[in-house]
Amino acid sequence: MKKVIMGNHAVSYGVRASEVKVISAYPITPQTQVVELLSEMCANGEIDAKFIMVESEHSAMTACVGASAAGARTFTATSAQGLLLMHEILHWAVGARLPIVLANINRAVGPPWSIWTDQNDSLSQRDVGWLQIYCESNQETQDTIIQSFKIAEKIKLPVMIVLDAFFLSHTFEIVDILEAEQVRAFLPPYVADKQVDVTESHSFGNLASPDSYMELRYMIQKAMEDSREVIREVDEEFGKHFGRSYGLVKPYRCEDAETILVTSGTVASTTRAVIDEMRDEGIKIGALKIRVFRPFPFEEVFDVLSKAKKVAVIDRNISFGHHGIFFQEVKSALYGRTDIPIAGYIAGLGGRDVTPTVIREIADKAISDKKPEREINWIGVKE
Amino acid sequence: MGEKIVFKNYKEMPIRAMSVADMTWNLTGSWRNIRPYYDFKLSPCRVGCPAGEDIQKYIFLLIEDRAEEAWRTIIETNPMPAVTGRVCFHPCMEKCTRKDFDQSINIPGIERSIGDLGLENPGWMKKTKASKKEKVAVVGGGPAGLSCAFYLARRGYAVTLFEADKALGGVLRWGIPEYRLPNTLLDDVITQIVESGPITVKSGTALGKGVDLESLEKEFDALFLGLGLAESRALGIDGEETDGVEAGLEFLRRVNSGEKVDPGKRVAVIGGGNTAMDVARCALRSGSDVTVIYRRTRHEMPAISDEIEEAEHEGVNFRFLAAPKDIITKNGKLEKVVFQEMELGEPDESGRRRPVPVEGKTFELELDRMFTAIGETADLGPIEGRVGSEWNLIGADGESYQTSRKGIYAGGDVVTGAASVVEAVAAGRKAAEAIERSFTGAEDKAVEEPKVIGFEDINTAYFDHSNRSLLPRIDHKEAVNGFGEIHLGFSPEMLARETERCFSCGVCNFCDNCWVFCPDVAIIRKEDEYEVDYDFCKGCLVCVIECPRGCISTREEGK
Repeated sequence: MKKVIMGNHAVSYGVRASEVKVISAYPITPQTQVVELLSEMCANGEIDAKFIMVESEHSAMTACVGASAAGARTFTATSAQGLLLMHEILHWAVGARLPIVLANINRAVGPPWSIWTDQNDSLSQRDVGWLQIYCESNQETQDTIIQSFKIAEKIKLPVMIVLDAFFLSHTFEIVDILEAEQVRAFLPPYVADKQVDVTESHSFGNLASPDSYMELRYMIQKAMEDSREVIREVDEEFGKHFGRSYGLVKPYRCEDAETILVTSGTVASTTRAVIDEMRDEGIKIGALKIRVFRPFPFEEVFDVLSKAKKVAVIDRNISFGHHGIFFQEVKSALYGRTDIPIAGYIAGLGGRDVTPTVIREIADKAISDKKPEREINWIGVKE
Repeated sequence: MGEKIVFKNYKEMPIRAMSVADMTWNLTGSWRNIRPYYDFKLSPCRVGCPAGEDIQKYIFLLIEDRAEEAWRTIIETNPMPAVTGRVCFHPCMEKCTRKDFDQSINIPGIERSIGDLGLENPGWMKKTKASKKEKVAVVGGGPAGLSCAFYLARRGYAVTLFEADKALGGVLRWGIPEYRLPNTLLDDVITQIVESGPITVKSGTALGKGVDLESLEKEFDALFLGLGLAESRALGIDGEETDGVEAGLEFLRRVNSGEKVDPGKRVAVIGGGNTAMDVARCALRSGSDVTVIYRRTRHEMPAISDEIEEAEHEGVNFRFLAAPKDIITKNGKLEKVVFQEMELGEPDESGRRRPVPVEGKTFELELDRMFTAIGETADLGPIEGRVGSEWNLIGADGESYQTSRKGIYAGGDVVTGAASVVEAVAAGRKAAEAIERSFTGAEDKAVEEPKVIGFEDINTAYFDHSNRSLLPRIDHKEAVNGFGEIHLGFSPEMLARETERCFSCGVCNFCDNCWVFCPDVAIIRKEDEYEVDYDFCKGCLVCVIECPRGCISTREEGK
C-alpha cells in the first residue's frame, strides 16, 4: 500500500514489516516519531513485540543486547548524544555477535546544542564493528530496515541504518509500505544460533586471555568482509521480491564522467539534480552515492572512480585534525592504484543546507582547480 | 573446574566470548557480601487498628477474589466488621502509607463490604459447640460483651450473655442513630454472633436486676463485665430536672426505639462529642433548628471529624466557647438558658486547653429543648465495694483485663471511659484470650513484633496517583428528611478499584518484580512464595530496590 509518510515513520513501518519481538528505545529529537509510532503499534497489537521503556540510551542498547541474546529480533533507534551514550554497549553487541538493528537519525553533536543534521554522531562510531548504511529516501529507509535484519542475522553482526535529521526524518514522501505477510517469505522469523539457554550454564562476555582475544576479533573482521557479499545477495533477493534494489554504492552518470562528486545521505539526491543541470551544459560530470559505509565498498568505489579524471568528496562531517571522513575512506580505496586527484569538501555541518548552489560551487571548484590547492576545503564558512 | 580447553585455531572457537564448558561449578553467589532475604513487615494500617485487623491481608484476598477468606481474616480479630465498617473512627486510615502519596485507602468502606458479604453468606460462619468444661458469664451485650462472648464461644467455652435491655447491642443499639447503623443490620450482626456458638442470652437481666455478682461467681468459672457507660453526666447547674432539659442519651434511646419525638423548634445541644453530634442530627431530623454549644473550640471537639462535618453539612449550627450557666423556667417549663462565654486557658491533663469563663460575658437563648451530651458515666452501684473502681470506672489490668477481684474481668468503655466501638471489640477479644489463659495456665506469649513499614520503604515509582473512592451516599438535604442510612456500600467495581490502590506495605503480594528484575536469575518463584537462590545471588540488591513494598531486607554476610 502506498502512503505519504515521514522518514521516521518509514523506519517504523520497516520494523513492523520485519516482525521484531523486542523494541527498546529512549526518545530523542529528531528520532522521536520512530519510537512513538512503534510504541503505538505495540500497544494496539499491530506488532507482537515487547516495548521496553528505559531511562537512557545506554539502557536501551543494553536491553536490546539482552533480548537479542535471548533470541529475539530486536530494534532500537536513536540520535546524536543518545548514540554516543550507547557507545559502550555498541561494542558489546558486536563482541556478542548480536544481529540488532538500530536506526540513527544523524544529528549534530553538542555542544553547541543542535538538533539539525550532520554525520559526526554515526561516523564517530565507525570502528565499533557495526555495519552502517546511509539512506537518502523514505522508501530506501523502509526497505533498508527490512534488508538489515536479514543481513545482520546472516553475518551475526549489528546494523546501523542512518538517515539525515529533518531532510529525511521529517520529510514526507510516497512509500510503498510493506506488510509483514509480504515480507515473511523474504525475511523468515529469526532463529538464533545457540545463545542464552537457562537449561545450560555458560558464561557470556567472559574473560578471554591473550591467546584467544585476537581470534575473536579476527572473526568479526572476517564477518565484516564476508558481509559485502551478503549485502549484495540480500539486496538482489529483495529486488526479486519487491522490485527495488539499492547496491552498496549508487553511481549516477559516471560512465564517461571526467569529474565525479562523491556523496552520501540526502545530499546525494540534490547532487544528482546538479549533475543533470551540468550535463545539460555539456559538462562531463557524474555522482557516486556511498550507501554502505561499513563494510567499506572498496571495489565498487574503485571501479567507478578509477575511470574519472577528478574526484570531489562532499563530507557532512569532520574528523578534527584529519579530513572529512568519507574523503579519507575514498582516498584509501584509491591509494596505490591510481593517481587521480581527489579533493575533500566540508559542507552542511549542523544542518546548514547543502543546496544545488552549494554543490554547483563545489563542482565548479573541483573542475577549475588544476590540482586541488588544498585537500580539505570548507564550503560556505564565513572566514 | 574441568580440564583446560585448548583451541587449535579460530574455527574451533565459538564466534563470541562465551564459555564452551558448563559453568555450574562457578557458584557466583560466593561473590556476595550482602544478603537479601524475604522479611515481611507490619503494615502501618494494622498497627493503627485497635482491633489489630490484618487489613493488608484481607484486601489482598479480596483482590484475589477470595472474599470468604477475607471475611475469615477480619473475623479473627473483629466479629462485627459490618458495624465497625460503618461507625469506626478508622485510625487505620491515619496510618495508611498511601496517605503520604495521595490519599489513604478507604479501609472502612472495604471492611464494610466484607462485613456485608459475611451477612449475605451465612454459611461462612462455621458454628462451634461447647467443648470445654469451664463456663463464662458475660455481663453487658454491647460491643465489648458481644466480642468477648464470641471469642470465648469460638474457643469452645459456654457463655451466658446478660443484657439489661430487651435486645442486645448496648450502645450500638441505643446510642448510634439508624442513619449511621440501621437496626435491622445490627440485628443481623448480633444474630450471627450469638448463633455462632454456645452462647445463651439472658436479656432484661443485669447485675442488680435478676442476678448479682455473688450468684454469678458461684455459677460461672469467670465473669466479664462489659457494662458500658449508659448514664448521661449531669451539667451540675440548677434546673436540670426542668421539663425541656433532657439527657442526650435518653433522647437517642427514644429515637432509636422508634418513638415519635418532637423536641420543638429551638433546640440546643450541649457538648462536643459523638453523642452531641448524634443528638443534634436526630433533632434536626425531627424538625428542629439545632445549635451545638461547646465550651471549647472546634479544634478540641472529641467527636469523629467526619461526624462533625456531616452535622455541619446537614445544617446543624455551632457555637463555640460557651457553657450553660442558668436555666430559666416559666410555669415549670424551660424558657431560656443563660450561657457563659469562655476562652481557652492553659492546657489541662488531656493536653487540650482548658475553657475559662470570660468575666461578665454572657448571652441568652430562648429554647424549647436543651439536650445535655457532655459525657457518659457508668452505673457501678451493683458492684460497688466488691470490684475496685476509680473515677466511677472499673479498674482492670491493661494486659490481663483482670479486675481487683479474682475471676472477674472487665473491658470496654466501663474501664477506659468513653472510647470507641473498635476499642471495645478489641478489649472483648483480648479479655476472652486472657480468660482462656486463666483456665489453661498458658502464658501470654510475647511475640517479637515485626518492623513496621514506613512510606520511605515504598518504591513509589510503581504506583500511579489516584483518589480514594468514596462510598456512594444520599445527599445532605435528602438525608435530613429521615433516618435512612446515609452511606451506601461500594459496588463491586468500586470495591475492586479501591482494593487495587493498596500498596500492600511490607507484605508480598506476588507482583513478580524481584523475580523479573534479578539479573542473575537467582529468585526462584514457587507456588506461593519466592526464594533467593544463594548459589547465584551476588547481592546486587536490585530485588530490594525494585520491591515496591519493602518485603526484602538485607544483612551483611558473616554477621
